[in-house]
Amino acid sequence: MIAKIYSSCVLGIDAYEVTVESDIGGGLPAFNIVGLPDTAIRESRDRIKAAIRNSGFSFPPRKVTINLAPAYIKKEGATYDLPIALSVLLCEGVIEEADLKEYIFCGELSLDGRLKPIKGALAIALGLKAMDKDKFVLPEQNAREAAAVKDIEVYPARSLKEVVDFMNKKVAIRRELSSGDQLLRRNSKYRTDFRDVKGQEHVKRGLEVAAAGGHNVLLIGPPGSGKSMLAKRLPTILSEMTIEESLEISKIHSVAGLVMSNKVLVGTRPFRSPHHTISDAALVGGGTNPSPGEISLSHNGVLFLDELPEFKKNVLEVLRQPMEEGSVTIARVANTFTYPAKFMLIAAMNPCPCGYFTDPKRECHCSPLQIQNYLSRISGPLLDRIDIHLEVPRLKLEHLTDKRRGEPSETIRKRVDKARSTQGSRYRNDGVYFNSRLESDQLEKYCTLDKESEELLKLAILELGISARAYDKLLKVSRTIADLDGKETIEAHHISEAISYRSLDRNLRG
Amino acid sequence: MGRERREVGILGERLALEFLQKKGYRLKCKNFRTPFGELDIVARHGSSMVFIEVRTRTTSSLGPPLQSVTRVKQAHIIKNALFYLKRYGGIDSYWRIDVISVKLSYDRILENIEHIENAVEDIY
Repeated sequence: MIAKIYSSCVLGIDAYEVTVESDIGGGLPAFNIVGLPDTAIRESRDRIKAAIRNSGFSFPPRKVTINLAPAYIKKEGATYDLPIALSVLLCEGVIEEADLKEYIFCGELSLDGRLKPIKGALAIALGLKAMDKDKFVLPEQNAREAAAVKDIEVYPARSLKEVVDFMNKKVAIRRELSSGDQLLRRNSKYRTDFRDVKGQEHVKRGLEVAAAGGHNVLLIGPPGSGKSMLAKRLPTILSEMTIEESLEISKIHSVAGLVMSNKVLVGTRPFRSPHHTISDAALVGGGTNPSPGEISLSHNGVLFLDELPEFKKNVLEVLRQPMEEGSVTIARVANTFTYPAKFMLIAAMNPCPCGYFTDPKRECHCSPLQIQNYLSRISGPLLDRIDIHLEVPRLKLEHLTDKRRGEPSETIRKRVDKARSTQGSRYRNDGVYFNSRLESDQLEKYCTLDKESEELLKLAILELGISARAYDKLLKVSRTIADLDGKETIEAHHISEAISYRSLDRNLRG
Repeated sequence: MGRERREVGILGERLALEFLQKKGYRLKCKNFRTPFGELDIVARHGSSMVFIEVRTRTTSSLGPPLQSVTRVKQAHIIKNALFYLKRYGGIDSYWRIDVISVKLSYDRILENIEHIENAVEDIY
């Protein structure tokens, strides 16, 4: 007779069903596990035997064979301890058969039979529906994480014996109930605020425009001008996360092992700031069972690349596809994995190698050739995806010592939200959410210019040598500025502000 | 000297057999010879066929008798058992290997018998 218990494995960031089958047969007693188990699982035999004995049951002195199906997927980690033990006990008749088909069991076992926490509980909980199951038994330390998912029953367990008694209806386990929305609200306070930034009104305005339209930003300024400080505060003016967005992010973070037990749902938009020595695999994702990269960890959030020219060229190259499609596909021999990667990019750099090219106070020691080379280290294609260039000047003394505080993030965010909802209703049927994502044909349709702005645009192309690519960007950004202004038609002052955000175009021309 | 050891061994096996029979084991064969070695006792217990390896000691200075069943020895016992099962049938039935350790005093008086069931598992 074969006994079956259902569990789950996480491949990439998605959960799949694993059937734990057990067979007890004749021959020299043994305890074998097949189904491509990794070392941790192979070691678990001793853990499981001890746990079963110490829970008051006996381990059959027979040939016990455990199969983790499907057989061609590599199984990793210690989450299968509990389901394997249960499968053996089921085969022995210690557990009653009834309604096991509705349950998923996961958990690591201690030698004394107690359950220990697992990784990826949220990802598994999110996958339960697809596996046709609605009940999840798991270690109590992971219960809150899993309970954030609607429409499933989560049962926190402390030991193997408790689970066996529960399945035999001898003991009750109280369902873990937690409201995802409550959890989200509790975690949604940012620790930083735009209020903390003195002066830099022009940059703050630029970031407001970027946030409103989903435009990527490049900050250019001397060292110490506050580029990082400003970048860090960008998430605080992005719209509030919905529960769906939070679940998406939390799932990715859960698989990466980043979920803290008291903050199971990510409540604030992620802000990731990788060092410029990062490898391409760490940035976009990689490894054997690929772990999510920084771009996925900043999904629905902000990716900050400080010192942009210092990043390796090949590393920046791999950003192109994800930025285009909002996801990254990693191919492996056995499988192809696609991870979400919809992030807002904000990059920062100095205006020249020594950093003081645009500084009114300090001397710049770089030759024009050096500056040209430095600026051209950023690949064309990457620059093409950045709509807004902001110059961040060194703070003037009076600003530094100004006691007054700037506008709080909340006020700015309200304006951003208004502009976003305008875009939302405008593009309802177009599958686009932001102005930054408009295609060329859509640009023509939605960016109506008045006479003055048309003239201004023509001038810009002629005098400033704005390329066709830059022209598209100008239109998109003007569209956002007009939305912030509450205007449907784009006016000249919207265009001129947008032109002010194309400083690199002008600089590169000399 | 060799004869003394053999005598001690034979005495130990006899004591082990008495012990098992009192427990309800039915003797199938004693000192079964195979091309690879020998099985001390083959017995039936309930639905299982049991192959018993007997270890006898007169002093404890050479370590507990169970320790002398090394990995190599275990592999031999399995081989011998499989030979028996192939000849008389029952490879896929329930069978196991037990070890009985017999402790005798210096003047050959029984001090202790320990019976370890299922002492040797499949070496995978």
